[in-house]
Amino acid sequence: MAAQRLSSIVSQLTPTTGQNPLSKITSKNPDDVVITLAIRTPLTKGGKGGLKDTPLDGLVFKILEQVVRKSRIDPQMVEDICLGNVSDAKAAYYVRAACLAAGFPNTTAASSVNRFCSSGLKAVQDIANQIITGSIEIGVAVGAEHMSTGGDRLTRPFVDEIVNANQDAADCLQPMGQTSENVGKDFNISREQQDRYAAESYRRAEAAQKSGWFDDEITPITVKVDGKDVTLTRDEGIRPGTTYEGLSKIRPAFPDYGDRSTGGNSSQVTDGAAAILLMKRSKALELNQPILAKFVGATVAGLAPRIMGIGPSIAVPKLLTKFGLTMDDIDVVELNEAFASMAVYCKDTLKIPYEKMNPRGGAIALGHPLGCTGARQICTGLSECRRRKAKILLTTMCIGTGMGMAGLFVNEQV
Amino acid sequence: MIEYRTSGFNPYATKYSPFFDSRLAVCAGANFGLVGNGRLYILNLTSNGIVCEKYFETQDCLFDTAWSEQHENQLLTAGGDGSIKLFDIGVGEFPVAGWQEHGREVFSVHWGLVEKSRFLSSSWDGTVKIWNPERKESLMTLPVHSCVYSAQFSPHHPDIVTCVSRDSHLRVYDLRSKASAQNHMTLAIPIHAPPKLPVAGYGQGSVGPTECLTHDWNKYRDSVLATAGVDGVIRTFDLRNPSGPVNLLTGHEYAVRKLSWSPHLSDVLLSASYDMTCRVWTDGSNVEQGGSGAGFGRELGRMDAHTEFAMGVDWCLFGAEGWCATCAWDERVLVWDVREYMRPN
Repeated sequence: MAAQRLSSIVSQLTPTTGQNPLSKITSKNPDDVVITLAIRTPLTKGGKGGLKDTPLDGLVFKILEQVVRKSRIDPQMVEDICLGNVSDAKAAYYVRAACLAAGFPNTTAASSVNRFCSSGLKAVQDIANQIITGSIEIGVAVGAEHMSTGGDRLTRPFVDEIVNANQDAADCLQPMGQTSENVGKDFNISREQQDRYAAESYRRAEAAQKSGWFDDEITPITVKVDGKDVTLTRDEGIRPGTTYEGLSKIRPAFPDYGDRSTGGNSSQVTDGAAAILLMKRSKALELNQPILAKFVGATVAGLAPRIMGIGPSIAVPKLLTKFGLTMDDIDVVELNEAFASMAVYCKDTLKIPYEKMNPRGGAIALGHPLGCTGARQICTGLSECRRRKAKILLTTMCIGTGMGMAGLFVNEQV
Repeated sequence: MIEYRTSGFNPYATKYSPFFDSRLAVCAGANFGLVGNGRLYILNLTSNGIVCEKYFETQDCLFDTAWSEQHENQLLTAGGDGSIKLFDIGVGEFPVAGWQEHGREVFSVHWGLVEKSRFLSSSWDGTVKIWNPERKESLMTLPVHSCVYSAQFSPHHPDIVTCVSRDSHLRVYDLRSKASAQNHMTLAIPIHAPPKLPVAGYGQGSVGPTECLTHDWNKYRDSVLATAGVDGVIRTFDLRNPSGPVNLLTGHEYAVRKLSWSPHLSDVLLSASYDMTCRVWTDGSNVEQGGSGAGFGRELGRMDAHTEFAMGVDWCLFGAEGWCATCAWDERVLVWDVREYMRPN
């Protein structure tokens, strides 16, 4: 008892500026931006999967309908919806019309953002920033991509002044497969390492799917496939029984540039959508919304376009330093597996314990619907944090044309 | 400045009697209150200095004391063993009544100022209990779920109780409300919410939650309270607009342990802090006397004669307006006039 009285006096003496970084980010303040809903559609195979006949506007409409249904929030209170999408130049039209159709009144605004593979996370950051500065009180961030339609590559090269200006500018023309081979060669990530990593990603995803771990992330949706109504409930990219031996036989996918990246150890072409509902903690308490997690912050970092895959190895240290944290403080890492080359490089360079990183597999097994991934990682990461009763989630991805982005979240449903 | 030494015991609180203008109570504990006995001193201010009229010994440290509003010779103590005792100065060396319901250290006791037949206590066990001295069991228990450092009856309304706790919240209870899941709680104000007016050097956002150690009701303005705690900042709140503090009075370098609004001037406060100073503040609301308006408070003066954590303050109700008593872990109780320490503008 005396010891407790003593420690209570001692803790009264510690000034708040001496608080350790972990308790600073996990502290609960009324102005924190919190997530009260994080849902995603199943991820289906581009071109032939369940969402092949549901173009982007239909996909956004479906996920927003689910947001209205599942959040039980009065749609009038949502002031802005931000869609992260890469391939479709008309994304802003689609999100606006889709939200009006999905049950939001015309007083709810909408916009779209594009930072390639980080667009989903950028949409979350856009809404969070507006909430922090007081521009809005409640917003929805959506990440959605219909890769079945195509459209994610340039239709013409840049103008001559740009291409001839310097190597970096010209390198922005490189297709992603080429950058993956560059990473594999520059950093000595062998074909075997990449195939073994991919096999593990498939194994983890298969185990997670079989154990029903994805059930609390996925919201089933009913769409038309070849004219008939189908309810989609499962991620389609996972190939059960995938082995290293099987992957090692697959032919290189980018023979013009190298021989290490294949269809088996690269992210899949996929359709999907995810949505995140954000507001201040004080608002969530006022409206009786369940607080799933706190959005702590996100940051972006640029690097050479020709090795864009190593983006997370620059963005993650930048983000952690901002909050005074180390990798030891992180419980779950969702690192987008654009290619096994960059996934292996980033895991080793950032020294992420493999049991913390992508425990449910990653884009190699699940798929990488470009704009959706940033939001999808939040759904998966938070679900895994809940399952493990862990707190700190780090999401990160590389970005085509040479960038990396990372986001930090605190799971509050422990 | 008049001094009294409580040798061997470190004081935690001091209170002037509401009936006699020269009587003071000081409660203390041995070994800084961490382990050992407690002592309740009854002191008299005489022309020969401070004289100890009587003292009572208790098993465990005493964290707070409160004079009875009904009986001129009786006072309560809050004990480290969870007990609340009622002592009568004229009756022997043992308490005339005692209550043992709290599970942990009782950090404060307060007698009802309007409805004088009740008192309350608050404890590390996360509850505030309402009592009647004639009854053996508590009348009501208000759950707070976090160590409650300080609880008070409002001096303006008989059924309003407020408390501050370790989880950085100021809670207001209305005992007239129906029993329900809310347990009479009508407001829970986060103390660390951003202030209504920008304060230099403080930023616009809210700071993290900090333990709140003390609070006090303003004696003239019936919706104004002040709280203070570990971050050394004194905040005043107006319950009519409770979303954030009206004033932030910064200056103390360590935790503030006790606050007391002046019984004579509606805008003056006294604080005792672990930085060994006791400071006088105005919250600016007395515009006729030169204040710039509520929200523009400032420090008026400080007394740093104490050489250890200052733990308790109380204003003298009678006589000249500026006299007060402060006590600190340097085993001293000092009685002084605040006006001698006020700095010119």
